[in-house]
Amino acid sequence: MEPTPTTSPSTRARPTAALVRPDLLPSELDPTVFDEAFLRQLERLKLLLRQPVRGGLKGGRRSVKRGRSVEFADYRDYVLGDDLRQLDWNVYARLEKLFVKLFIEEEDVTVNLIVDASASMAAGRPDKLLFAKRAAAALGYIGLASEDRVQLTVLGGRLARRRNGLRGSGRVFRLLGDLSSIVPAEGPSDLVAAARHAAAQLHGRGLVILISDLLDPGADRVIRELAATGSELVILHVLSPEEIDPLLEGDLRLVDMETGEGLEVTVDLATLDAYRTRLATWRENLADLAARRRATYLPVSSDLALADLVFAELRRRRVAG
Amino acid sequence: MPFVAPLALLGLAFIPLVVAFYMLKLHRDDAVVPSTLLWQRLLTDVEANAPWQRLRRSLLLLLQLLLVAILAFLAARPFVERPAGLAGDLVVVIDTSASMGATDVAPNRLEAAKVAVLEALRDLPGGGRVSVIAAAGSARVVSNGTTDLGRVRQAIASLTVSNAPGDLADGLRLASALAARASDAEVLVATDAALASTPDARVDAPVRVLRVGRDARNQAIVAVAVRTAPSAVTRSVFISVANLDLESAQRRVELWGDGILLEARDLFLEAQSRADVSIDDVPRAVGVVEVRLVAGGATASGGNGAAVAPDRLAADDQAWAIVPPDRLRRVLLVSDGDPYLHTALSYLPSSELYAVTPAEYGSATHPELFDLVIFEGKVPAELPKTAILAIAPAATSPLGEVSGTLKQPGIGSPDPDEPLLRYVDLSTVHVAEASRMTLPEWARMVIPGPSGSPLLYAGKRAGLPAAVLAFEPRRSDLPLQVAFPLLISNLAGELLGGSAGPEAAVAPGTPVSLPLPNGASGLRISRPDGTTADVLPATLGALSVTVDATDQLGVYTAVPIGLQPGPSGSPGSGSNPLPIASPTARPSSSPAGSARASAPPLDPDAPVRFAVDLFSVTESSIGPGSAATIEGLGHTRAGSPDPSASPGAGAGSTAVPTDRRPARDELWAPLLLIVLILLCIEWAVYERDGLRRIRRGIAARLPMPRRTT
Repeated sequence: MEPTPTTSPSTRARPTAALVRPDLLPSELDPTVFDEAFLRQLERLKLLLRQPVRGGLKGGRRSVKRGRSVEFADYRDYVLGDDLRQLDWNVYARLEKLFVKLFIEEEDVTVNLIVDASASMAAGRPDKLLFAKRAAAALGYIGLASEDRVQLTVLGGRLARRRNGLRGSGRVFRLLGDLSSIVPAEGPSDLVAAARHAAAQLHGRGLVILISDLLDPGADRVIRELAATGSELVILHVLSPEEIDPLLEGDLRLVDMETGEGLEVTVDLATLDAYRTRLATWRENLADLAARRRATYLPVSSDLALADLVFAELRRRRVAG
Repeated sequence: MPFVAPLALLGLAFIPLVVAFYMLKLHRDDAVVPSTLLWQRLLTDVEANAPWQRLRRSLLLLLQLLLVAILAFLAARPFVERPAGLAGDLVVVIDTSASMGATDVAPNRLEAAKVAVLEALRDLPGGGRVSVIAAAGSARVVSNGTTDLGRVRQAIASLTVSNAPGDLADGLRLASALAARASDAEVLVATDAALASTPDARVDAPVRVLRVGRDARNQAIVAVAVRTAPSAVTRSVFISVANLDLESAQRRVELWGDGILLEARDLFLEAQSRADVSIDDVPRAVGVVEVRLVAGGATASGGNGAAVAPDRLAADDQAWAIVPPDRLRRVLLVSDGDPYLHTALSYLPSSELYAVTPAEYGSATHPELFDLVIFEGKVPAELPKTAILAIAPAATSPLGEVSGTLKQPGIGSPDPDEPLLRYVDLSTVHVAEASRMTLPEWARMVIPGPSGSPLLYAGKRAGLPAAVLAFEPRRSDLPLQVAFPLLISNLAGELLGGSAGPEAAVAPGTPVSLPLPNGASGLRISRPDGTTADVLPATLGALSVTVDATDQLGVYTAVPIGLQPGPSGSPGSGSNPLPIASPTARPSSSPAGSARASAPPLDPDAPVRFAVDLFSVTESSIGPGSAATIEGLGHTRAGSPDPSASPGAGAGSTAVPTDRRPARDELWAPLLLIVLILLCIEWAVYERDGLRRIRRGIAARLPMPRRTT
């Protein structure tokens, strides 16, 4: 089903660029600082959903309910108790029958940004967590600008820490502050348990965007847990360039930065080839699983420019448009 | 399989050591990664906690174990045995004469002979002893009875072609002497068998010949002589070229004077023939003439002598000759006046005759400034240090003892090869009276008289030529015969000498005696290749030195060393007292009178040059001879095995002496090849990552082929 943006850009509240001017932001927000031109480009975007959702409050999203918007939907016979203001008197004049005019209801949708803050996300150059924060900030800004409800959840250890939901573009500082306060977890993380915890906290159908490196033996279960919530799931699978194409060579003891466990290997060209093959297979398996669960899987490198992510990759996958 | 050094198999003990090295844990550097999730179970052979599993999959370990085993095997020197084809004591005679430099087999016959000998040595029984003799002009032992084949190969490799004419007789006699010390001995001769005659030697051992060489295509310069024209203004060069091939040949003779091409003549030489060339008008200034034999129709070869060798032997395609210097010889006659003698001496070419009476002779005469002093009758007690001819000495003198008078002495039979009697017929000569003399030790008999009493003897006394004629010519009918001027000329020729150095060409390797100037401590010899060597006299006060390093072909130059500048000159010059010259000295009476007037005086300190040339028809005849002739010189001693019974000697018999140890073929070559292959494989395995990167880099740079639709 085609995405159905129902609100024209002219009807959306647009935050002024001055609100997010870099010189007005605290220094800890630096990772999420965007320039004005980029923000203007973000404001033109909207997070797309494959089908209308049942939201809560009046919003900019096309709802399955018939409501009071300006967009005509259908007619139905008048029954006792209907609002007489909805009667179509023109039809009554021609047919002498009472019909009620139905309109498309527009509601908001909750955009759940789930950021993996496990210790492994701190690796890479640039580190994956920074990339995740910047991506979450951009997507959250798009959501806030689209009058969606933005909910940030941080995965770490075995828990999912849910922040207060934000609505309206004026809450962008709160969102950036929440993102800047994210620090990588210490010690090993159980991504499956944390994801299950996060899934339990979701209410209603909406958009769930998971930004994670999925470096967990139960990565497939993470996807299953989040896909089972009924929300549309978008997975930004972030890996650093060093993980995609390792620069290791020789006799090494690989130390897992989460568990501290060592693994002795002799890295040669054959080993690297095997690693790349294994990585590709792993990604393909995750992509297959996501496709089966009607989720969008997007593998990205942490050195990918944010503009390329938002305006190229996410548009191509019809996550934003 | 037997081994030469079986103890070397202990090297197999290194195998557990190699395995132990592989079982030791490697020191690994820590590398922090976000997760080891994707690295687990990648390659099980790199995990450290399963050594045997790791060993089982290590190709490098397998290769290194193989290398250790093969190296230990190689060090033990395995071999296989087979019947020996040679005796246990082998004497190898290698012909290094000039003909072995022929290039009919590449690169030359000597190198081919070396290869043949080394190939034959494979049939040497285990522990066999080998002696190597190099036979050229003379034989020398270069390796004596060694069992170390490495030293033998080194000795053989060190042999070079000599320019000396070869005669295998010396080498075969030496080989026979070496072979006599063992019961199972054999002589192996590597030669081209290009011999003029069968060597005069008998070998007390079986002789086997390894013959090298194929054809006889060779033309040679066999003689070069320089003669002064009767006018004494120019000189003529006589060249004799021989075609020793069985086919006719077209050749060109080039005459070079002091490095400048003077003339070239084309020659057509019939097979087995000689052609003589006379080239006149050689300029007077030329000191050394060089004759080159080049290919017919070839251009001048340039000053460096680099001509294309037109035949198989290049050594005889070049020859040198020294142009005798114009010298005015001074002869002092101390006589009361013998008109016959006076007349004969006055006709000597290039000479100036001075005469004094015995009463006038003394130290003021300065006899040492003359080239020849002739005493007739009275001989002074103190002889001058120059060449001396004494005629009818009246009394005993340092030149000989006079014990009386011979009346009408008969003339005995002289040596027909005596150079002083060349062209001299004494058969009709009668002597009325002669001094009875005794032949001194320093002299040789030239004209024998009655009862061993010499009528003429000559030789070198104290390094100076001297001769004594026991009778006065006027007391015989000799002056009335043609023999008289010839005898006087021959005597003057020997006593005066042509030049300080030998005028005729010197054969390679022949010692040359050169006069030592007064005051010189020795001579510095410059050889044709530019090297120099100082030659010192054997004794103090010696008047000559002997140069024996004449193995190179070309021109040698001897310069006095340690010479102090002192008085020199000629009679009548400077402050020296003028000898009382006879008014009868008549330079104009000589046909060479015009030359005398301009001839420079002899400088005793001037450099002396002489030429060494091959000039050996025998050596230039490079056609390979018969091996059977040389093999026939050997014979089998009683109890010795017959060489013809060996497998390598012929196809007639295959019987092998039972007491002869077998030959060994060591298997190092294939083992070494395997080691090299294994090393290459191990390197490729070890560097496989680098090789893959190179291959990928090349593939990335190559343009991808376009698909055509």
